[in-house]
Amino acid sequence: MTFDFFLFMLVNGLTQGMLLFIIASGLTLVFGVLRVINFAHGSLYMIGAFLAFSLSTLLPSGSLFSFLLLLLLVPPAVALIGAILEITLFRRIYRAHHLIQLLLTYALVLILEDAARLIWGGDIRNVARPEILAGSVKFLGLFLPTYNVFILIMGPLVTVGLWLVLYRTRTGNIIRAAVSHPEMVGALGVNVSRVMTGTFMLGCGLAGLGGVLMVGLANITLGIGMEKIIECFAVVVIGGLGSVGGALLGSLILGVGVAFMQLPLSRLAIVFPYIAMALILIIRPWGLFGRPER
Amino acid sequence: MEGARLKSRNWTAAIITIVLLVLLPFVLRALGRPGEYWIWVTTEMIIMALFALSLNLILGFGGMVSFGHAAFFGVGAYTLALLMKKAGIPLLPALAAAPLAAAVAAGIIGWFCVRLIGLYFAILTLAFGQLLFMIVFQWYTFTGGDDGIHGIARPDFLGPTNFYLFCLLIFLVSFFVMRMITRSPFGLAVRITRENAERAKFIGINVRRCQLLNFIIAGAFAGLAGGLFTELNRFAQTDFLHWSKSAEPILACLVGGMYSLVGPAIGSSVLIFLNIIIQHIHQSLVEIWAMVLGFILLVVVLFAPEGLVGLYEKATRKS
Repeated sequence: MTFDFFLFMLVNGLTQGMLLFIIASGLTLVFGVLRVINFAHGSLYMIGAFLAFSLSTLLPSGSLFSFLLLLLLVPPAVALIGAILEITLFRRIYRAHHLIQLLLTYALVLILEDAARLIWGGDIRNVARPEILAGSVKFLGLFLPTYNVFILIMGPLVTVGLWLVLYRTRTGNIIRAAVSHPEMVGALGVNVSRVMTGTFMLGCGLAGLGGVLMVGLANITLGIGMEKIIECFAVVVIGGLGSVGGALLGSLILGVGVAFMQLPLSRLAIVFPYIAMALILIIRPWGLFGRPER
Repeated sequence: MEGARLKSRNWTAAIITIVLLVLLPFVLRALGRPGEYWIWVTTEMIIMALFALSLNLILGFGGMVSFGHAAFFGVGAYTLALLMKKAGIPLLPALAAAPLAAAVAAGIIGWFCVRLIGLYFAILTLAFGQLLFMIVFQWYTFTGGDDGIHGIARPDFLGPTNFYLFCLLIFLVSFFVMRMITRSPFGLAVRITRENAERAKFIGINVRRCQLLNFIIAGAFAGLAGGLFTELNRFAQTDFLHWSKSAEPILACLVGGMYSLVGPAIGSSVLIFLNIIIQHIHQSLVEIWAMVLGFILLVVVLFAPEGLVGLYEKATRKS
């Protein structure tokens, strides 16, 4: 394996890892605050991708302006769907047994997957990359796809943004306080249910953002939601449920691992997330950054 | 006294139900063509009831949500299909192998899944279920990929009526075995792990091993149901392992009531019946069957988590 090739695979893996992190961070953030695993997170990501497709058909193809508009409009739209779900459904089950919570989000998966099939049909859709991101960049004598480089920049931006929000703003303080002591935060006069709705919207918005970013990398099909939620599960199992830092590490391990597994055998790449998950479960069942339960 | 009378009344009801179920295909056969269709449907109901009961060992008695139960149904289905079609093995030994293969798969997958309880269990069952689906889907030379395996032989003596009776016999035996298991010391131990895992550990129960064994038993019965289902349809398809197939027994347990023994069987039959009604209202409604199931699940979870049997019990207790 030459160095060029190695670098190329690394960039590919990191790109996939960063995209995965943007989505998985939403899942783990929502779990951290709401203590609910949202199985429908992958479906919301898929809906984000399809919304981006629908919107792009109304806009001039390949222009930077259209792409920015997608980035600006789709995540809030998915966040809005999240707000509706939180207020009408999730709010009722925070105190319920986790069995009820799991079944409710599972019911949402069934509904959303079929709803997407009704609205967008079973065809494979795609969106053209904006021209400015469609070419390639020269880096260390190697031509890398500009779009991948763009995601490699977006990923850390989202990470830093998330970190700033969580650790450097008052809202973030409240969210983190609500993670550890929701009753105490409520007693201090914070509207906890608003914090929960807000966090849920943020999580869904991240799924939506992931949906927009993926359209430049792959085709949009009905299967992508289920595919991604399982990758997200692998990420949280590896990184530890509820930990954003763990999600970052887990995503990068998965992204790079899958990319390099593709070399010897493409079939091996499909099972890599499972192998990684199984290994972690044997060595450190609560994940790299998680805490042992109870 | 009261308890004993209730018990004998339950036994009478059970015997009457069994007699009616045995007589049913003969009545249906007398109806001619539509009757034959209904024999097929009731056979499917019996098989899917077995599938639902097997999941309820995990869901209702174990108190754990498995989203990958279709994997074991599928392993049973493909074991039977491959053995009969590729190895030319007759139905009965192939059908015996189906639960064994499913139990092995459940043993391997379960070993990872029961390491962490609750939320992780649900995540991992879904993920590993999908893994099995992908293996079957991609391994074209062995499993036929998305073509499935068609043209599975049916022994001559098993006409529609006899096959119905055959399935009913297997169902009843399985039902009483499961009943015995849930009432055995092992079954009680599983129930304790559901109510209070900490305390179960404290009184010397090996929680993980209990849950794993329970998971394997449930997987084996799901495999048996899968084998029968393949023989009924005379083909095996990747659909049988798909994640959305796992939704059916979950729903059956919830609709029927997961804290009762027969509830899931009733729930499963109600759902199949509902599917047929929906088909009759409009053909295109079948396309969104998953969505219909989703809405039913949503309503049951929010308003009647104890299901039909729970509602019935509530109603009879009040009157």
